Amino acid sequence: MSSTPTAPAISEAEVKDGKIERGEDAPAHAVSVAPKKKEPPPETPESIRLRLFVILSFWAIVLFLGLPIWWRTTAIYRAKLPLDQMMDWADGRACRPVFPLRISIEADSLQDHEAQHLLRTTQHALDDLNDFSAHHLRLQLSPPANASITVDGLPTGGSDEEVALVIRLLPGTESKADLQSYSPILDVHYTPNQIPSSSSSSSFLATYIANTLREMFAEEQAMISYLLSTSSAPPERSPKALVPEVAESLAKWTTRSIKYSRTYHLTFSLFTPSATPSSWDIEAALEEHMKPLLQSFSSISNFTIDTQVQLYANPGVNGNVLKKEDLSGFINAAEWPLSPSIGGAPTVNFIIYVGDMEVEGGGKSWLIPQWGGVVIQSDISDLRPAMLIFSNQLMSLLGAPESGSLPLRLMTLVRVRSAGLLLKASGTMGSLARLTLALPSISIPKSVADGIYTTIEHLRKACDGLGGTEGLENAIIAEEAAEKAFFEKSMVGQVYFPDEHKIAVYLPLLGPVAVPLVMGVLKEVKAWRKRRRVSR
Amino acid sequence: MSIDRRKATIFGAAAAVRVLLFTAFPGLPDLLTARVEVSTPVTSFKRLQEGLFLYNHNVSPYDGGVYHQAPILLPLFSLLPSSAEYPAFTYLLYILVDLLSANALMKIAESGEAGSSKLYTSPRKDKKWSSYAIAAAFLFNPFTIATCVGRPTSVFTTCAIILAISKAVIGSSYASMFALSIASYLSMYPILLFPPLALLCYDRRPKSPQPTSIYTSVLQNILAVGGFIPFLLYMSSLITGSWEFLESTYGVQLLLPDLTPNVGLWWYFFIEMFDSFRSFFLGVFWIHLSSYVFGLTIRVRRQPLIVLTVLLGIFAIFKPYPSISDTSLFIALLPLYRHVFPLMRYSFLASSTILYATLLGPAFYYLWIYAGSGNANFFYAITLVWSLGLSLLVADILFAVLRDELEVERPEMKGKEIRQI
Repeated sequence: MSSTPTAPAISEAEVKDGKIERGEDAPAHAVSVAPKKKEPPPETPESIRLRLFVILSFWAIVLFLGLPIWWRTTAIYRAKLPLDQMMDWADGRACRPVFPLRISIEADSLQDHEAQHLLRTTQHALDDLNDFSAHHLRLQLSPPANASITVDGLPTGGSDEEVALVIRLLPGTESKADLQSYSPILDVHYTPNQIPSSSSSSSFLATYIANTLREMFAEEQAMISYLLSTSSAPPERSPKALVPEVAESLAKWTTRSIKYSRTYHLTFSLFTPSATPSSWDIEAALEEHMKPLLQSFSSISNFTIDTQVQLYANPGVNGNVLKKEDLSGFINAAEWPLSPSIGGAPTVNFIIYVGDMEVEGGGKSWLIPQWGGVVIQSDISDLRPAMLIFSNQLMSLLGAPESGSLPLRLMTLVRVRSAGLLLKASGTMGSLARLTLALPSISIPKSVADGIYTTIEHLRKACDGLGGTEGLENAIIAEEAAEKAFFEKSMVGQVYFPDEHKIAVYLPLLGPVAVPLVMGVLKEVKAWRKRRRVSR
Repeated sequence: MSIDRRKATIFGAAAAVRVLLFTAFPGLPDLLTARVEVSTPVTSFKRLQEGLFLYNHNVSPYDGGVYHQAPILLPLFSLLPSSAEYPAFTYLLYILVDLLSANALMKIAESGEAGSSKLYTSPRKDKKWSSYAIAAAFLFNPFTIATCVGRPTSVFTTCAIILAISKAVIGSSYASMFALSIASYLSMYPILLFPPLALLCYDRRPKSPQPTSIYTSVLQNILAVGGFIPFLLYMSSLITGSWEFLESTYGVQLLLPDLTPNVGLWWYFFIEMFDSFRSFFLGVFWIHLSSYVFGLTIRVRRQPLIVLTVLLGIFAIFKPYPSISDTSLFIALLPLYRHVFPLMRYSFLASSTILYATLLGPAFYYLWIYAGSGNANFFYAITLVWSLGLSLLVADILFAVLRDELEVERPEMKGKEIRQI
């Protein structure tokens, strides 16, 4: 930084003043015949006063204008952040993620006391089986009047009334469990002799129901415990180590699924190596096979859709049989117009390639993790198979579990997603708290503090309502606010600006300016003390 | 009568030179308008045209972010026929403003304020130049001529400042304060001239039966300026229909968003500045500029006119968007102190430095911008030399005046070397 022009000018002007004012001693030197030193003639009080005023006028400007400006312009605004709370969230102390799943038992055919007893023994059996306290199945008897509490798709209502599953106990000839495909109802058939007697502490039916339930929710439990184990939760809370195979499949699940977003964009593309076919009946197919699925997703994410047809499109790999390692090169990224995420929403691509190649080992479709799916099909008059594959791939890409009926899978997805977002937002807050502690010189704008308070508020709500759609909604808001606060642009401007550098900024200009100012005062003080000594 | 003829000759010749330059070299005005030494973002004639165009099409002139000049110039220039079609009217206006400035300068010279103020009379006061010589030195100064031909709006500020001083030396303080208000309204920085100008008005006030105290006089002047400036600002808000002109005119001067190179020292400094310190150093630069005002006013209380002169010199060096127009104003006032010229020690060094920078400045700018064989440091280096030359001149004239005062105080010191202890 060049300060040269200003500094000399000031000191020069000052020195000139000095020269003139101290010129009084010159005669002593000039007229002295003898070389001995003579005291300069005394200054007139008027000139002393004048000099004092000049020095004062400069200092007044420095003190009354300079200092406030320095204070105002270089002060770093640091909004107060609730650091303790943020660290509590990050360390998992603020929220203990618990997913209470209510399972309602409908046992119209049983006596009330029988049903109560069955409930108790089943609950007991469940508790014995469960080793992961965060994921807790709780049974309740549904009053016969509200027997049909379930509606199509997801159960509605507040989180308190939300029932994850209804078990219908039906008398039958053999004992079997039957999960309905489109509503979260499990039909359990039992033979009359399986009704537990009130004296026995366990029964075959209770154990059977408990085992069935445990099997059904095993995948979800594994997912959530995997999420918790990868987060920074305190070790005593994290579940026991997962079985290696399960952990591996869950790691695959994490790499496969796309980062959560409120909106996804789906692109359906038809690529054909020749001029035909130039049209496909995609609209009807989407309407029939895709829209219902997307509709049921509406409480989790929204979707926008576009479609395209590309003629004379050559894949990146040729040959009739595609080897496994060819699959990654099949998408001709250079030539196929598959745009990356448009706007903010991540894009999921689904591609039908017209051809008769086959993947080595059979099959004509595959999934590309976090990107989309490909189906090779020679005849596009019937899009149904492709659409079914795409639906499956979409579920997979969005992170839904692989087993269970659709409503159960969706509800599991809601719970898993809310847990993931909750942990992510908490982690972000922890990072932000550590960042502000580690770098005391960065500024923290008010918007960051506001974002943090929004995050905490919604995290609290999300934590309270974990497991339901409301919890997910709150977790989404919390995560968005946390990300926004963490990536606030004005915060990073001065991150790497240690205090030593400030000397390098101030000194070149202000140092030379300060010298005449300080020296003027010092000289004046010295002269004043001398005068006082003489006068005494 | 012969005196008037001399004045007429000088003025006529000055006008003729300008008319000749305007007509014989039709490309010259536009060439000079584009020069960074003549036009700054806050005075450029080209930018004025832009503002005028927007204004005439009922768009806020400040919308484009190009025009940063006072709103009152717009109705003034829209009264004139378009400068693109009938440039003669614009030329005439600028020539007239120059002559007006010269006329005011002559009045200052004739008042003899430079040689003998109320509180101080220089022993050398008879060794002065005539007012004709001073007017001629102003009118035929190449910087003044270049400024006139380049048509920056700073000539109006120059004229207002000289008028303010010329009114102050005849003691008509309200006229002087009005002129100062106009100058401050146009360019903001002249408001810093208020303390010495108020003192000058006080010193030269007309004799009245009851004595006025200095405080009453200064207070009256403060009230006058405090009345005129808000009035002008209010008129401007009526002209443009909003108050946004404040930010676009004075905000630009204060915050320096436009870093177009000029002969000053700010632009390069703020190109290099860390963003987080930008506002602090803006404060430092402005405080530096204004810190001289009170110190000088107190120190040379007996000669307010030299304070004004030295301050104008300091402004020409250190103000945010200086141009040779500011230098020409400073150099216009210098000849009033012809009597202390013999006491100056570095006049040769200072004048040759300025000459050197004047010749090399455009060359280095050409090397940087057009030839591409130099870089910004070339031009910045030459502006440093230019500022150094001006600083020498300012410091030297101040030294000479103070030496002059010393010799009155201590006559035995006459002609002796002085040294600092």
